[in-house]
Amino acid sequence: MFLKNHWYVAASLSEVGHTPLRRIVMNEPVVFYRTEDGTPVALEDRCPHRRVPLSMGKLVDDGILQCHYHGLRFDRTGACVRVPGQDLIPPGARVKAYPVVERYKWLWIWMGDPALADPTKITDYHWLDHPDWGARSDYLYAQCNWQLVNDNLLDLTHLAFVHETTIGNMALVEHAAVRVQRTPTGVQVTRWIIDQPAPPAFVKIGGFTGNVDRWQIIDYTPPSFIRLDVGATPTGTGAPEGRRVGGIEMRNLNAMTPETETTTHYFWGQAHDFQPHDAAVTERVFQQIKTAFLEDVSVFTAQQNNIGLDPGAATIDINADSGGIQARRIVERLYADEQALVNAARTAAE
Amino acid sequence: MGLKFRVELVWEDETDNASSMYLTSDGRVVLQGRAISPAERDALALPEGGEMISVDRNLIRAIKEML
Repeated sequence: MFLKNHWYVAASLSEVGHTPLRRIVMNEPVVFYRTEDGTPVALEDRCPHRRVPLSMGKLVDDGILQCHYHGLRFDRTGACVRVPGQDLIPPGARVKAYPVVERYKWLWIWMGDPALADPTKITDYHWLDHPDWGARSDYLYAQCNWQLVNDNLLDLTHLAFVHETTIGNMALVEHAAVRVQRTPTGVQVTRWIIDQPAPPAFVKIGGFTGNVDRWQIIDYTPPSFIRLDVGATPTGTGAPEGRRVGGIEMRNLNAMTPETETTTHYFWGQAHDFQPHDAAVTERVFQQIKTAFLEDVSVFTAQQNNIGLDPGAATIDINADSGGIQARRIVERLYADEQALVNAARTAAE
Repeated sequence: MGLKFRVELVWEDETDNASSMYLTSDGRVVLQGRAISPAERDALALPEGGEMISVDRNLIRAIKEML
């Protein structure tokens, strides 16, 4: 199940240059490159002549991509502009062109109806390139359905087990109160830990000398954008009421893009508001989280392998799944809405 | 007894919010509502026995959506 009428992260900006880059998005092959003035382009990566990936070819003029096999050339709109050895360009000689936008150090792509591609709908990830924040982002290739990653990020209790030796804490499972809020546009999972000692890592970073109020707020925006807001302030200074002073904050930022039904491009980043211009701090924070994420990726692969063996095998739900279950319900509703639009357009065309 | 893992479910739509539901570690679903007084029970001709609470209709919608 893919939701196409949404913006997705297709690549980091540094990946896209003057050499064609191939990436499969929602089962569609896409080639990315930049024109001479740096404008990013995304085209269907399949020559309409003999279906060779255009990414095997090369850029020959400004924004013109030449197929490696027989030299057909395509401009940035996807139109074929040259067929070697003949003057006539066959009707239908074109590839699909996708809307793309550069934002937050990522290249975003719209796979659905181009007429609906409104860049103001891109989910906010400003922490990744805001001067008040230190941040680093990365890419992981997850061999699983994209919704398995949603499930994982919306459930904090797995930290105690998958990340037992890294960032896990059993208190999260046994002594936690979690609020799952289903809003018209998404899901928010919130946990507050009031007036408790700060964990060692927080003491080191934030210099806390007494108890703190800690928060973990997971914001899910469909289809696959999950932003974690975590931090702490000296207890009693008003963080639960929205006054965050004298503490530290971090954002764990995740954007999953389906490659196929069983594989996912997993873009993520970590941002921090303390010592934002100290690259060593950014790197240390990033590496700590990356270690934990690699533990998750191993679980995803094993999960997907088992799902593949018997997709109908029975599963159960537990309380900790509440956030993920709500997210899946939203996805199902959006999918039904999108399919209704597609069917209406098809009927109108007929 | 210290708090075991507990989940509070809150449902909102464009116009209405529902009261909370709580999923407890011992398998119960606790609903937020208002106790029915003896006078109200009598006036509404509700059956005797057991405790009764009154819950908002939005909470029923939320239960359908969230459980």
